[in-house]
Amino acid sequence: MGKLIKIICLVAGLSLLCCFSQPAMAENRVLTNVKVIHASTTSETVDASLKDIIPELRSVFKYTSYRLLNDQQMNLGFKQKGRVTLPGKRTMIVMPADMEGRRIRYQINILKNNRSVFQTRVLLRNNSSITIGGPQFKNGVLLLNISGSIQ
Amino acid sequence: MGKICNLYKPEEISRFVDNELPPDHYQKIAQHLTHCRDCNRLVEQYRSISLAFNRHADQQKLMIDPDQLTHKLALSVKPSPEKSYRPVWGYFGKNIYIKFASIAAILVISLFMFQGDLMGPSGPSAIVKSVDTDFASVMIIETQREKHTIIWFSET
Repeated sequence: MGKLIKIICLVAGLSLLCCFSQPAMAENRVLTNVKVIHASTTSETVDASLKDIIPELRSVFKYTSYRLLNDQQMNLGFKQKGRVTLPGKRTMIVMPADMEGRRIRYQINILKNNRSVFQTRVLLRNNSSITIGGPQFKNGVLLLNISGSIQ
Repeated sequence: MGKICNLYKPEEISRFVDNELPPDHYQKIAQHLTHCRDCNRLVEQYRSISLAFNRHADQQKLMIDPDQLTHKLALSVKPSPEKSYRPVWGYFGKNIYIKFASIAAILVISLFMFQGDLMGPSGPSAIVKSVDTDFASVMIIETQREKHTIIWFSET
């Protein structure tokens, strides 16, 4: 009995050690992806590249058209700012600040005419995304889907 | 049992044969036996029964090997070390593959559990810590299926 218990404890201990030591060893960079989507009711066009996020958006919004305007991928270090140009003289600055548990702390800033109009701090689950919506554009709105993945 | 004497009961005669009576009572019956034929017959019967019983008991005793009996008793009293391991080894069986499979399962489950991917998404995709905007209308929405977080602000 003692031998088996010892082996199980050893394996469980090693696996826990691997789990907790992994962030310190590997989480240096954050692959950040920003999708700029134009949502409107003018047509029924849905971009095929948005198939993963569309069911979630459709469960909330009544837009019929979802078009991908820009898909920007950035490999950012912590405290490193990533800049995304948005339509309508807007810019979004995304910065992974640090980690809190298994979540990435992001600071997101939207500027219009070089003036900050929206700022938020979020804890994004690793390999997950958040959508920020609202800016008006061409009879519709802009939806900004930001996803983060620890490298 | 034959004819019974009115003076002494068969139980008293039986106890006389087995030397279980007090000395004075024993002496009285011994004196009585010198002249009572019925009681004498009863004494003989009891003695023959007692003799047959003792002979049979001796025969049975001779058939028992004391060494073997001691060994058997020692085995039944001594706790077996295998028996104490039985609950755990009995559960896993003697199959080495089952043991390794169980260890591998623990390893995989613990790895995935702490990664937080095995049990599916837990909590919202993003926790909104703060929002700062000039616009009055801000909504934070969480979708029902995937718990996808949406921040909605109105520019108007």
